[in-house]
Amino acid sequence: MMSSLMINRSRSRCVLLWKTHGLKITSIFSHSFADSVSASSDSTRSFKTTSSGFQSRIFSNFAFPGTNLTRQLSTEAVVPVASTCDGLTVERIIANQWPILDENESDWKSHAAAIAQSIQVIKRRLQWKKLLVRVRMLSVELNKPHLWDDPTHAGKISREHGSLTGKMKGVMTFERELLEHIDMLKLAKEENDSELESETMSALMEMRRVSKEKELEALLSAENDHCSCYIEVQAGAGGTESNDWALMVMDMYKSWAQRRKFSVTVVDEMPGEMAGIKRATIKVNGEYAYGYAKAEVGVHRLVRISPFDSGKRRHTSFAAVAVIPILGDGSTRVQINDSDLRIERFRSGGAGGQHANTTDSAVRIIHIPTGITATCQNERSQHMNKASAMAVLQSRLDQLEMARQTAMNAQHTQSLTEISWGNQIRTYVLHPYRMVKDLRTNYEVSDPDSVLEGDLDGFILSFLSSSLDKGDDEH
Amino acid sequence: MIRNFRFTSFLSAAKPLTSFACSSSPARHPPQFTSSASTPLRITPPKTPLFLRTPSHAAPLSEVLKWQDWAKDLASSVKNSSTKSEDSLDSILLLRELKWLTEDSITDDITRRELGGEKSVKLRASLEELYELWRERIVNRRPFQYVVGCEHWRDMVLCVEEGVLIPRPETELIVDLVEEVVRRDDWFRRGVWADLGTGSGAIAIGVGRVLGGCGRVIATDVSPVAVAVAGNNVGRYELQGMIEIREGSWFEPLKELEGKLVGLVSNPPYIPSDDIPGLQAEVGRHEPHLALDGGVDGTDSLFHLCDGASRMLTSGGFFAFETNGDKQSKMIVDYMNSDLKNIFSDVKIVSDFAGIGRFVTGFRL
Repeated sequence: MMSSLMINRSRSRCVLLWKTHGLKITSIFSHSFADSVSASSDSTRSFKTTSSGFQSRIFSNFAFPGTNLTRQLSTEAVVPVASTCDGLTVERIIANQWPILDENESDWKSHAAAIAQSIQVIKRRLQWKKLLVRVRMLSVELNKPHLWDDPTHAGKISREHGSLTGKMKGVMTFERELLEHIDMLKLAKEENDSELESETMSALMEMRRVSKEKELEALLSAENDHCSCYIEVQAGAGGTESNDWALMVMDMYKSWAQRRKFSVTVVDEMPGEMAGIKRATIKVNGEYAYGYAKAEVGVHRLVRISPFDSGKRRHTSFAAVAVIPILGDGSTRVQINDSDLRIERFRSGGAGGQHANTTDSAVRIIHIPTGITATCQNERSQHMNKASAMAVLQSRLDQLEMARQTAMNAQHTQSLTEISWGNQIRTYVLHPYRMVKDLRTNYEVSDPDSVLEGDLDGFILSFLSSSLDKGDDEH
Repeated sequence: MIRNFRFTSFLSAAKPLTSFACSSSPARHPPQFTSSASTPLRITPPKTPLFLRTPSHAAPLSEVLKWQDWAKDLASSVKNSSTKSEDSLDSILLLRELKWLTEDSITDDITRRELGGEKSVKLRASLEELYELWRERIVNRRPFQYVVGCEHWRDMVLCVEEGVLIPRPETELIVDLVEEVVRRDDWFRRGVWADLGTGSGAIAIGVGRVLGGCGRVIATDVSPVAVAVAGNNVGRYELQGMIEIREGSWFEPLKELEGKLVGLVSNPPYIPSDDIPGLQAEVGRHEPHLALDGGVDGTDSLFHLCDGASRMLTSGGFFAFETNGDKQSKMIVDYMNSDLKNIFSDVKIVSDFAGIGRFVTGFRL
């Protein structure tokens, strides 16, 4: 039965391999995969998950196992755990802590560890344990004889059940796929079949790529994550020393955005007297810019020997970072009345008009009812500065409104003025030792230069995945 | 350069007509426009701004970076903005201008991150010219807009060159005022508008875009250089069918439209003659005085415009003029409410973003 299941899989390359190599496939699973829930509506449906997004070509053609199998096991309430011939499971792969190398390294353990890690993130995002409990509850409900007496209720139950089992099966299939590849690889090695080995290795690599995508989708699935955003940096107290640090932080984000292929435009920049910046706003354009950047909200602390201190003493500086999503046209945005605005020429003075020739056409817009302001000085015309400042103002007001409407995500919807200087998220130490450490996740690297040059993804992703843990009892 | 010539000669003799631009850029007789006979031939067509030139030059990245470093040093060496004098350079603004000059003249992205200084960079001007341009900006105080040959104004990029006033940020608001009127009443959208002393054509093109293809705009200027530059800008925005440039003084080329205009806008010369010698170097040394000098108290052209507005506007027609500020605006409003009593309605002063009463607007009864 299992071998027929394998052959049914329509990845023709695989089928061909199985046929040509005449492999005996018997006990690949220690437990047979089974749909632990009621078979009534799902058993004959072709397997294609919808909501969880597992539609990659790896399983889209995979036919769901026949009714027999499901019926036979439908009483079993335990979710089966897929494993290889020698009992390796996804959990054990993670427990082994195999080092994750570069994608191009042909090391199956590294690929397996990377994929397993992605699966774990996806499970956390789905709140896996709760999901399993819920599915079990729904199956019990669906098995009740008089369920359909109330068709509305029954429909609701059945839809939710369908959706959740879809997600569940997606993940489980993915797990099984990984373990099959591992089995295949071991067999190939045993039989010295280098062709099969390299085929399987590339299948693992492809799986790793797909799983990374799925992992990111899982991490960046909050409402405004897909938006572009503004990043604002404000220097803490301490004059030149802090202004210089604020500039370093802003440069770090510019480089980070460039690495991620986001486009960056400077909207507003208030230079410090001696060096650095007092405050600056950049616009970061690109898919999921906000989803990533929101992980940076908070106060960043620097410890170093000050280049501005002739006494070469150690200084601590602070810079606050705020991130504001730029909502798309589809979202409901705050309506701004023209009469609520006061528009001022920034740094005005003198007679103006024909008397003055200046390339400075900075504009400040004040929203009178809220006191919120926005400034832009980097465009080449006053009209464009005004439009750009209006866009910033709109996003600030949108953010204020979102914060008002939902207490959720409060941490990410603070604007600069509201960030308390106590909300420290990360420390950068250049002296006496060298280290960057995130205080929320304890993620840590020993090379501050690479971080300041924009290598931030490790920090961002570890923060995003740690935020998933909240709400799932599994961790 | 010879803007206003005939007009000023009979209205006010206060203005010395030192015409320097005609010698440097001989005027071309524009065949399509009816105009006074005595226009000399302008042979040179409008200059191509940096950003529109083909990137036919190349230099090694290391040399380009060397130029950039030199230019930055030169910009930083000027007195800093601490001396708040109107007539001093500000290194922060200069560094921003340098960024824009780089954007306009270099197509490739030149960041130091890319190693290998021998990589070839494509340029729209030779490196020698870039050195020269930046020196002119800082040493000669040549306006940045003449250096790059364009001015970003509203959402447009207008070509400008010596002999044509560089449109100011304040003036953008005239187009906003027109937009407001047009939005309120579609009647304004279908009629004929006039922009007098159009210079680079900025207001005319701005108004033309606001009208959105329905109405017509006629822009006049007495300077053949301005007529050529404005015509070129109109062409760049493909509005030839809608905006007509006529060479001549103020209302002179508009005789057939008496009492027919639905709108009249202008940014006339309004600086009092005595203030001209003390102007900021970029303005006083480089921009055409005839687009700046408004006679003894600066109101010669403005009063002429008020008188003309009463003749040229149709009933209900709108006007908006830029002035030197609060005092002049008040003078104009007083004049309209006394000498031109019962001709205009709703005459008022509108402030610019610096809070200066910069514009006078109103309607023909």
